[in-house]
Amino acid sequence: MIQHLLDGILVGSILSLGAIGLTMVMHILRFANFSHAELLSIGAYVALVFDKMFKVTMPLMANEIGPLSMTWALILSIIVSMVFTAASAVLFDRLVFRRVREKGEELSMVFASFGLSLIVRNLIGLIFGLSTKLYSKDIVFATVLSRDPLLVVKLDQLATFTITLVLMLVIHIVLSRTTFGYSLRAVGENPELAQVNGINLQRTLIVVWIIGGGLAAVAGVFYGLNNQINPMIGRDLVLPVFAATIVGGIGSVYGALLGGIIVGLASNLALSILPSGYSPSVPFIIILAVLLIRPNGLFGEARA
Amino acid sequence: MKKKKGRFALKLGAAICLTLFASNSISHACTIKVGAVLPTSVDWGRPIAETAQFVVDQVNESGGVSGCNIEMILRDTQVDPKVGVDAAKALVDLDGVQLLLGAVSSGVSMPILTSVSVPSNVMQMSCCSSSTAFTKLAEEGKTEGLWYRTFATTGVQAAVGAKVAKDRGFKTVAILYKNDDWGQDLNRLIARDFTALGIKVTSAVAINDGQPSYKAEVTNALSGNPDALYLGLYPNEGTAAVREWLSLGGTQNMIMANSLKSEDFRENVGLQYLGSAFGTDTASPRVASADAFVELYKSHFGKEPSGPGLANSYDAAMIALLAMEAAGKGATGDQIAAQVSRVTDSGGTPITADATGFKAARAILAGGGNVMYQGATGNVRFDKNGDVSAPAVVWKFIDGGTKEIEYLSLTEVDEFIASLN
Amino acid sequence: MIGILSYIVFFTTVASILAIAVLGLNLQWGNTGLFNGGVVAFFGAGAYGTLLLGGTPQPDHIAGFELFYPIALIGGMAVAGILAWLVGILTLKMRHDYLAISTFGVAVAFENLMRNAEWLGGGAKGLRGFERPFRESLGDGFLYNLIFLIVVLLCLLGTYRFLETLVSSPFGRQLRAIREDEKAARSLGKSPARIRLTAFVTGSVIMGLAGGLYGTFYAFVSPQDVLPTLTFQIWAMLIVGGAGNNKGAVLGAFLIWAAWTFSGWALSRFAPVEAQLYTGSIQYVLIGLVIVTMLLWRPQGLLPERLVVSQSGLS
Repeated sequence: MIQHLLDGILVGSILSLGAIGLTMVMHILRFANFSHAELLSIGAYVALVFDKMFKVTMPLMANEIGPLSMTWALILSIIVSMVFTAASAVLFDRLVFRRVREKGEELSMVFASFGLSLIVRNLIGLIFGLSTKLYSKDIVFATVLSRDPLLVVKLDQLATFTITLVLMLVIHIVLSRTTFGYSLRAVGENPELAQVNGINLQRTLIVVWIIGGGLAAVAGVFYGLNNQINPMIGRDLVLPVFAATIVGGIGSVYGALLGGIIVGLASNLALSILPSGYSPSVPFIIILAVLLIRPNGLFGEARA
Repeated sequence: MKKKKGRFALKLGAAICLTLFASNSISHACTIKVGAVLPTSVDWGRPIAETAQFVVDQVNESGGVSGCNIEMILRDTQVDPKVGVDAAKALVDLDGVQLLLGAVSSGVSMPILTSVSVPSNVMQMSCCSSSTAFTKLAEEGKTEGLWYRTFATTGVQAAVGAKVAKDRGFKTVAILYKNDDWGQDLNRLIARDFTALGIKVTSAVAINDGQPSYKAEVTNALSGNPDALYLGLYPNEGTAAVREWLSLGGTQNMIMANSLKSEDFRENVGLQYLGSAFGTDTASPRVASADAFVELYKSHFGKEPSGPGLANSYDAAMIALLAMEAAGKGATGDQIAAQVSRVTDSGGTPITADATGFKAARAILAGGGNVMYQGATGNVRFDKNGDVSAPAVVWKFIDGGTKEIEYLSLTEVDEFIASLN
Repeated sequence: MIGILSYIVFFTTVASILAIAVLGLNLQWGNTGLFNGGVVAFFGAGAYGTLLLGGTPQPDHIAGFELFYPIALIGGMAVAGILAWLVGILTLKMRHDYLAISTFGVAVAFENLMRNAEWLGGGAKGLRGFERPFRESLGDGFLYNLIFLIVVLLCLLGTYRFLETLVSSPFGRQLRAIREDEKAARSLGKSPARIRLTAFVTGSVIMGLAGGLYGTFYAFVSPQDVLPTLTFQIWAMLIVGGAGNNKGAVLGAFLIWAAWTFSGWALSRFAPVEAQLYTGSIQYVLIGLVIVTMLLWRPQGLLPERLVVSQSGLS
């Protein structure tokens, strides 16, 4: 039981990272962005390219950090990838979403995001090929935390979880203590009024995309680290990340964290109840259950 | 002024039409089109299409079929039945093909067969559709002899897999299977075979495509502490599941279905962990043909034929084209289908599965004789339902490829299966 | 010539079947503003329902009652309707992007159920054993496909007329009223929840009809036929054609299905040999571009909603 709890939290933390970015985008830009998960994919692949490059040009960086399978090269690659993915997110907004926003309504944006996701996913497939890739072929063995009850955990997952918590803390501090954070929340609640008060809407939106993209990159790399990298990462993660966002409540960073953990937990526990063939349905059963009890998600508020 | 523009447009249009028309028939005097409906937008689908095209290239190199160049028109099914059926219909109606190679998923092959191939009297040869529904359909007489598949029935894989477990003394096994028709079938059959041999199945867990994490499923499989793990998976989810299994301390005793005979799988899991992993596959008897196929593939593609369905795809295309040669020029689908037995006759002259073999076959067939095709998956022999059964091998991964450990002839396989029932 | 004709008949049949589903979605989204993300579940319920009721008995799953075809088809529609009713009472009060995700989840659960519950739907290998009606007398060839096309077109026409009448009826006005301003509608004594449910179920029954015809056409259905891709295809058809306009819905269906099939055909014909293996991925990129471009250029669709004015002005 505790093992399941542990697994759920650790697996869910990746979803949480993706969900934090998505929840901010959905809250402030007010549409369900189906292409958000493709940012995770972009993040994972960009990091792969740079990781290989760094390993070759700076062999010292190829050393693993302690007992983890992460290398220094990978850490550097994550940072580069964050920049690149954030830039991609801003680019997509400029090319597609901004124009659709001006002309159409919310549903058009949802559909544009879906069309965009098809394009990005298949371009990645064309560029990198369809086969599975890994950051490191070494298999990291799980560490035994305790023998009775049997608790095993992979240190990579612990690292992922820790970094997720740190990032979440940073975002929380930014949102609740900085002026910029206030302006972000103001735009989220009432864009017109926020502009009346002198907040530059365009700049705020760009920053939202940058944060969303950056976090997605980290999530994508951790996903690739703990699982594997293939062009279908976006397609496979879009629904669990949505589930995490909605369960947590759109607009709430804490909600995104909790939502990811809940979805991770549910997927893990599902096997005790349902045959494994039904696992893909579990995130939705969760969403349905949560929404029936709290129609705006756990921490969400009714939209103005 | 307008008249001039109009005439120019007409000339331009005519020029374009002529170019399009001509571009189809450059080198040879005639061209025969064959259709291929395969999932090229999926990772395991692309190599299957590549292999089929490789066969076509070799046949053309040897002089074509009935003196004509073969043009393989490839359409992507997107693993979507309505897209696949539409593509097949377009190939048959608009391009006039008499032969369809495909599809891969049974869910796509079946509607193509019933909506396009049978009504239009076109032969359909699939490398990889595994569903037992096709056998039933053929038994009911609904395939009209037009359907063949070079995919050995799952029963053989399951039986040999169970035999491996018994021979190595495993008392308990956990099963991880892909949650599609092939995997579900395999699971059912091998669980039954294990039980018949007195081996306990501690858990059988379905692995769905594209899940973010297989930790829960793998933990479930680990819980019974089995002696060995049976894997009915494709390389993509197979890699993920096995890496998870090993990292959680699972045993290295593994039995793999032939779908995992893949370089990607070996590379991503690591040879150091695959020392006790045994795979099953269909094979040819100790004749050069299977090795020849591997060598030929390596020389053309620069790597081993690894991945599900490649050898089957090769044989499917080659046998279909041999039958087309036997049927003669202008043959219709049913006529081609009727010739398949002539090119897979166990009493016929053996031929190799390459351009030379095709040339030799041409001469023999023209003289009224039969040939025995020795292919990448063995001496292919179809039963009345278009199914194949074949001898089996047990293999292991080695540096740079795979090595055959054990070989079971068709009789031995049949006997073993009989002993299980 | 006969080949081209045969293909056109085939293509038109599939496009018409999909158009019926798009009409159903138009009632739900275009007229009532319900964001149904699980179209494929109701389509699939119709397909599986029809095939289970009208098919021959099979050893590995239930049903196979070999019912008279029109009854089987209506049965399939009824299954879709019942599913819609259950889903509707649970989810219709949610705000609309949550409704989308919830209905999407229902569709995923439906596919999972059909894939795993072999006793119910045959599992991953699908449902077979269904005989197309009148196959013995009419054979399997061009004539049969032509007659089937005529039947499908009649269904399409019937559905279209039905929906057009509905839209200009008092019920149609109620739909638009609650879509535009729910509070005002409620103040006039209308019950939005009930009206929405009726629209949702009706639209889903129409999708069930499309599904039943689909299953009949291929005489086979499997979990591969009820994947989320279909939902996105139907939505794309409605968006491109014009939500809120029944003619637009049908136009969108034909256009998008034509684009989908034509892009595959064109790539296989004109792309250089080296690129042939990649045409699958390229096709998806093209389709994505079509959707995005359409939304950038004309987000209201090709044939936007015609505002129906039931009464002329005050003077």
